[in-house]
Amino acid sequence: MADRPTEAPREGATVLPDPGSEPHDSSRTHVTGRSEYVDDRPLMRGELVCGLVYSPYARARLVKLDLTAACAVPGVACAITAADVARNAWGSIFVEQPILVEQEAQHAGEVVAVLAAESREALAKALRRVHAEWEELPAIRTIDEAIAAASFIGVERTIARGDATAALAAAPHRLSGTLVIEAADHFYLESHAAVAYPRADGPIEVHSSTQHPTETQHVVADALGLPFHEVVCIARRLGGGFGGKETQAAPIAALAALVAKRTGRPARLVLSKDDDMIVTGKRNPFQIRYEVGFDGAGMLLALDAQLHSDGGAYADLSTAIMERALLHCDNAYFVPNVRVRGQVCRTNHHPHTAFRGFGGPKGVALIESIIEDVARTVGCDALDVRRRNVYRPGHDVTHFGQKIEDNCLPALFESLESRCEYRARREAIRSSNAAGTGPLRGLSMTAVKFGIAFTTRFLNQANALVNVHRDGTVQVSTGAVEMGQGVNTRIAAIVAERFGIAIDAVRVMTTSTEKNANTSPTAASAGTDLNGAAAAKACEAITRRLGHLANHLRGLPADRWPSRTAGLGTAPEFVVPEGPPPSPVRFERGAVIVEADGGDAFEIPLPRLLGEAYLSRISICDYGHFATPNLGFDKEKGQGRAFLYFSQGVAASEVEIDRRTGEVKVRRVDLLMDLGRPVNHALDMGQVTGGFVQGMGWVTTEHLFYDDHGLLVSHSPSTYKIPSVQDTPRIFNTDLVFNERNTANIRGTKASGEPPLLLSLSVWTAIRDAVMSERERLRGELELVPIAIPATAERILRAIERETFAAIEAR
Amino acid sequence: MRDHALLHVNGVAREVRGRDAFMMLAEWLRKELGLPGTKIVCAEGDCGACTVLRAFDPPGSSFPEAPFEAMNSCIAIVAAMDGAHVVTVEGMESEGELAPAQAAMRRCHGSQCGFCTPGFVMALSGMVEQHAGEPIDRRVAANHLTGNLCRCTGYEPILEAACSLRTSEAHRVGPRYGTLDRRARARSAMESGFEVEHDGLRFAAPTSLEEACGFAAANPGFRVVGASTDLGVPINKGRPMPETLLSLHLIPEMYEARADDSRVSVGARVPLSRLRHLCADAAPEFARFLDLFASPQIKNVATLVGNIATGSPIGDTLPFLLVAGGAVGVASLGEGDGGLKRREIPMTELYRGYRQLSLAPGELITHVTFDRLGSDRFLRLYKVSQRKDLDISTVSAAFSVKLDRAGGGGAVGVSAARLALGGVAATPIRLPAVEEAIVGTLDAARIESLAELVAGSIRPLSDVRGSAAYRSVLAANLFRRFGRELLDG
Repeated sequence: MADRPTEAPREGATVLPDPGSEPHDSSRTHVTGRSEYVDDRPLMRGELVCGLVYSPYARARLVKLDLTAACAVPGVACAITAADVARNAWGSIFVEQPILVEQEAQHAGEVVAVLAAESREALAKALRRVHAEWEELPAIRTIDEAIAAASFIGVERTIARGDATAALAAAPHRLSGTLVIEAADHFYLESHAAVAYPRADGPIEVHSSTQHPTETQHVVADALGLPFHEVVCIARRLGGGFGGKETQAAPIAALAALVAKRTGRPARLVLSKDDDMIVTGKRNPFQIRYEVGFDGAGMLLALDAQLHSDGGAYADLSTAIMERALLHCDNAYFVPNVRVRGQVCRTNHHPHTAFRGFGGPKGVALIESIIEDVARTVGCDALDVRRRNVYRPGHDVTHFGQKIEDNCLPALFESLESRCEYRARREAIRSSNAAGTGPLRGLSMTAVKFGIAFTTRFLNQANALVNVHRDGTVQVSTGAVEMGQGVNTRIAAIVAERFGIAIDAVRVMTTSTEKNANTSPTAASAGTDLNGAAAAKACEAITRRLGHLANHLRGLPADRWPSRTAGLGTAPEFVVPEGPPPSPVRFERGAVIVEADGGDAFEIPLPRLLGEAYLSRISICDYGHFATPNLGFDKEKGQGRAFLYFSQGVAASEVEIDRRTGEVKVRRVDLLMDLGRPVNHALDMGQVTGGFVQGMGWVTTEHLFYDDHGLLVSHSPSTYKIPSVQDTPRIFNTDLVFNERNTANIRGTKASGEPPLLLSLSVWTAIRDAVMSERERLRGELELVPIAIPATAERILRAIERETFAAIEAR
Repeated sequence: MRDHALLHVNGVAREVRGRDAFMMLAEWLRKELGLPGTKIVCAEGDCGACTVLRAFDPPGSSFPEAPFEAMNSCIAIVAAMDGAHVVTVEGMESEGELAPAQAAMRRCHGSQCGFCTPGFVMALSGMVEQHAGEPIDRRVAANHLTGNLCRCTGYEPILEAACSLRTSEAHRVGPRYGTLDRRARARSAMESGFEVEHDGLRFAAPTSLEEACGFAAANPGFRVVGASTDLGVPINKGRPMPETLLSLHLIPEMYEARADDSRVSVGARVPLSRLRHLCADAAPEFARFLDLFASPQIKNVATLVGNIATGSPIGDTLPFLLVAGGAVGVASLGEGDGGLKRREIPMTELYRGYRQLSLAPGELITHVTFDRLGSDRFLRLYKVSQRKDLDISTVSAAFSVKLDRAGGGGAVGVSAARLALGGVAATPIRLPAVEEAIVGTLDAARIESLAELVAGSIRPLSDVRGSAAYRSVLAANLFRRFGRELLDG
């Protein structure tokens, strides 16, 4: 073999990226419409389009399902029912949910059959000809009904510290109440979608809009009766996920795969927004009964709370979501005596599931709402009560026994109080509300302290495949799913930094279970933490070997380099030894530099070194596996180190309420977060504003309405109102603090996906602040007004004009 | 007579026949033309992910070059796009250069998951077509983006992208796509009518009202299709398409809109965005109200007659038409000689029940007229919805009183009133009892008692948008607001 010249350094590869605000790696294809999502895949010849038949009743027995007329429609290829499913049970925590109903539907929208046709028109016609007879059965529709029937999922969990009962009895003041939090839809723009390609000569290939390709692979394989190696699941990108595609994508993919396997033809199942909203679960509704004890200064002494959530018909992730709710009942505040208990209820709703925050927002809503009431009761400003109770030195161990390291909360409160001119605005609002005319205003500042890590320890692992090419470019594959959060861009930045190359010399490849198996879902805000760390480990294995080689080359005359000798075999081959390279090596600006021991530094372009490595039979590819260290939370005892670290922040929201209609405007939001040392500032800011506005929808306008049979009525944007561009805060100041002290995580970053959403609770507490001032003005005495989440215009007007509504409804 | 509809897509002429003609535009672009950049999310015109630009020169018009405007492609029937030029996100780049909206969205991190992004790019591009060369502020930007939902960004980076746009005439796609030859081809095609058929479906577009009325008389089950912003929704949701569709888009008379000293008259094909311009002088309160409802994508294609003809009890324009002496003009084929028979139906007599119109068989609505309200009239229009913009009303109201003497001393004199509510019954209703009681001297105390009467005169229902009690309280409170504004002058 003749000598091959080494590749020249790739042009442009020596320019380092601006670390602060590299655009999303798909931004160019996003704006030109060339980013491919599942349903953008070109139609294959013979491909089938699939549609769902589901129960219109919360609970019903399937008396008869006659698909004869549907299947007789020209162009209809097949119908799949429960009898066609090899293993008709799946579930992330408890394997109990059927893929297709066998005899009894447990929720409205539970799928009983799939039809597949050659055209949408034929499918629509066939769906209209399905004859299903249902016998409607008594259903459990509310948490109260579930409690009465002892209809539960899993066991009750408790987290306790001190003696809440005794401390409550001894407390100078006590308040008790019930907080109601309703469900919310994820409303990712891309509804659930899957295309399955049967391969005669290989595994079935499923393209799915899933946050969890590994679980999707497994559920598909089980449903088809195939071993796992006969299924590949691919997730290129999602048009939003927010938790809604963590578990619930799997059965959708299985249904498409069942059609593909049965017919031997490609099968595509893309849910309409209506079907997506009717079939899939939401954020768990919660009902929380609580009692809190405090002193005359508003210092919290004891909290006793019983949380019930509506898990829907099947367990899904609800028990884990409840655990996170219990772990966040303290939020930013030290409570010496705590007992929080949580029980998931089984009802006849769609199985509720993960949604950004994963239970955390419910715990935080509880304590932030309590603080507003405590403050009014003792006659203090709520911000003072918050600042008195905030975790601080000496009071920095949570109710589950984890010490809060790197506690930024007191500083965040102090900083935002002055930045947002809290005191002056509070006074202005007080006097304007006192007039009783004009819009009613409210102001509230809340915090977030969000624990980062899956509370289930084994999920805190990831793997990555890093393939370095000899021109100095890199392909990285991980189990992370890109859904807008920019996980691929961040992983690329981490890898680019490790090799000292430009970010566009790194391409993060399509996520596929054939490259990365046994992965965890992209969830818990930990996508970059886990997958970035795994990629970094793979990079380090490669850079260690390259470092040794560079050290070796430094002392070698140029004519003895592998590029001159390897083809001829005229020199001994370099073998990489154990341990770090003898002299430290830096990867910078597209070059590799061996530190000089007194003499000149040795520098070699990365592509040249890679060429020499290849010729020396040194691997320039690697696979990294990462397991988050130092985690240990005992769920049964409710104690331990549940989280690696906490993302923290505060936000102050000012709202304006129309006294005549209850409509709300968010006038101003000031938000400050600690996200460590961001990999990409712009992407983090995107998560912050996006998460906040998404949460605003949850606490205000997003209202799910079910008919008398338990079928969702508000199943499209004409009836389900997520925030529009006109709903954004009139003034929206967001900022990140500079914090390099987070040593726990890769590169000193902090996760940003979920935490900002929880700050939107300040909009809800501000609404309560406004309503309670108005009631106090109208009645001349303190009135603590509970308002459920979402605080819709109707609920707000009902709270303000309680007596008017009562009179009308008594007529 | 043509056997096809003709439209241009990104500069390429397409003659459409058969199955394609009855598809929804978005689906056709994605699956048949291989242009999947246009996304379908809600399939009901509420999220804007399917936004494309459309230019359409009405037949027989002497308008200057029709502008490219944003519209929703998910609920538009392809055949009804006859004569239009459609530009999709794939058509926005020019020789590899991103269009200004694309570059700004990228620069400002306006896209996260990317699924809504093509729709936002096209809505922003619609804004560029209209405002090229002008600086863009947040209000203008937000008004152009009201019809686009994003779940990732919180809109801030998108607004920033919009406000960062520095454009010139050269950035408009109009001149690039709306070339003389293409427009001439469309105009010449539109001089003849067409009919397309597929699998039992029929779509007819005649060039004269006489022919249209003849078609209506001969095909009892026909449905008129305009922008199909209402009709398209149930079709996308699995209901069969009506078998016989009639489009009036080739009839020049349908595009007439004028205001004289006493009345405004609007043809069946006049889009709401054009109506809004007309009303800026002729009915300013109505013009302001038009800004609040529907998105630019809808208003650029949907019509006032369409809003009336769908007969929805919460049609946002209907309470206004009820108080403004609205009437619809209808035409049908006369007996014997085949000439046209025209008549007017007052809005107060138009609705027989939920979505039921008192039209005779074979009658077509050609236009709608309403009063220009004089300076002695005090009119206010309100709507309350779960979300402020682009939401169907829980309650909408149109309150108008005739003043007989100027206010002063906290009271005004009312000589007559027309009061209407939407969302509180199966059809929009007037409040005759209150209209009668309000006449006389009106002060704060009487407003309060009349507000009680308003609440007492309605029997609303509870539904997804609010409870019966909420609607009653809202109706009374909106009347209180009206009274307050009236007294405050």
